[in-house]
Amino acid sequence: MLKKLQLKKHAMTGISYMLPLVVTAGLLIAIGNLSGGSVIKNYKEAYSIADALVSLGVFGMGLIVPVIAGAISYSIADRPGIAPGLMMGLIANAIGAGFLGGMLGGYIVGYFVQYLKNNLKVPVWAQGLMPMMILPLISTMIVGLLMFYVIGTPIVWLTATLTEVLKGLQGGSRFIFGLGMGAMAAFDFGGPVNKVASLFADGLLVEGIYGPEAVKILASMVPPFGVALSWIIARKKYSKEEAENIKIAFPMGVAMITEGVIPIAARDPIRVIAACSIGAAIGGGFSMLWNVGSPVPSGGMFIVPAMENPIGFLAALSIGTVITAAILVLTKKPAADDSFFDEEDESVDLSELNITDQIR
Amino acid sequence: MKIVGIAACTSGIAHTYIAKEKLMKAAKELGHEIHIETQGTIGTEDELTDLDIKNADIVIVAADINVGGKERFAGKKILNIPTNIAIKSPKSIIKKIQADLGL
Repeated sequence: MLKKLQLKKHAMTGISYMLPLVVTAGLLIAIGNLSGGSVIKNYKEAYSIADALVSLGVFGMGLIVPVIAGAISYSIADRPGIAPGLMMGLIANAIGAGFLGGMLGGYIVGYFVQYLKNNLKVPVWAQGLMPMMILPLISTMIVGLLMFYVIGTPIVWLTATLTEVLKGLQGGSRFIFGLGMGAMAAFDFGGPVNKVASLFADGLLVEGIYGPEAVKILASMVPPFGVALSWIIARKKYSKEEAENIKIAFPMGVAMITEGVIPIAARDPIRVIAACSIGAAIGGGFSMLWNVGSPVPSGGMFIVPAMENPIGFLAALSIGTVITAAILVLTKKPAADDSFFDEEDESVDLSELNITDQIR
Repeated sequence: MKIVGIAACTSGIAHTYIAKEKLMKAAKELGHEIHIETQGTIGTEDELTDLDIKNADIVIVAADINVGGKERFAGKKILNIPTNIAIKSPKSIIKKIQADLGL
């Protein structure tokens, strides 16, 4: 049953459509930040080219969830799946369900369109309306409302609970607070859990408390740095394809954009998420312990000189990076496909491959 | 034996083309005719012609993602494999097809 659903193939199709967007948007933000730009808040006032580049990158980041949802749904249900999938992604963005919410929405709406396509019988005169109107409208309406009212509820509840827990943690020791903050901020690479930690840090920044903000910055940089370091130590653990992704993720990490790690995490989620969260947690703990603080909410390496105790920040960042890399090196299995052009075939079990005359 | 096929991987920049090269090389060494279309991130290249498909004995779809234009293969014999299988053991795959189809 699960094999028949081809979950992985659809996720891979989604990722393949999303990759150029992640890279373009991430690099636009990095280039814009480097040249001193920030997001344009009021388009009626004058803005610089750097501001325009950052804003364009932010638009692109906003498209990531709709595109992965749309592409997953397209992969499942072909063209009638595109419009409903894109809209499920927009809902995931709006209700704060993030990347995982978007993927879930894409799967549900894709299978639903496919189900309707196979089971909904309409009179001949209405068949032309099926792909154009009936399938997208019915599926978008039903799954869309489901996203708003059912799928959104546990995520909003989760957000509220986590915020409470975070507030409670603040009374405890600084190290433990940093630990929790770091783990949350790194956990889903810019997704909803990260956004809760991020919002919390931004809120405290207004109160003049700079510590959590530094942990947030650290936790966004540990995943790309840790993954890159583990690749340098043990190249055999990553395929050539992953290596290409890492080469892009690292410079994005310098600018505090953690999303470059998503393609690596999507292939091996448990190990990569665990390694990144643990590394960022311990780095965050030390950052709090050493009274590191950042008055600037984002900017990565470029705003380190502006921090309180920048040396402490770099030390905590290094500790987190090394821990993430060490866990990855120790736990990741070697990538299988690094020998490309050797003459002889590797022995692979082909007995399960069957020639078919069914198109699928 | 006449073979047509499609190669497509997730990133669409590396494995797609390696899978194509491996299949082409293996088929030629074994004395078969082959034409592989690539569906990379850049788009479709070396598109299969209707004549290629019409004359083909087998369609190899070496893909990790959903490929486009599958309706062209209606009524053909199709083998679906992931790109890494095509890269690891292209010759074995072609020999297996030959054995299965009895050609």
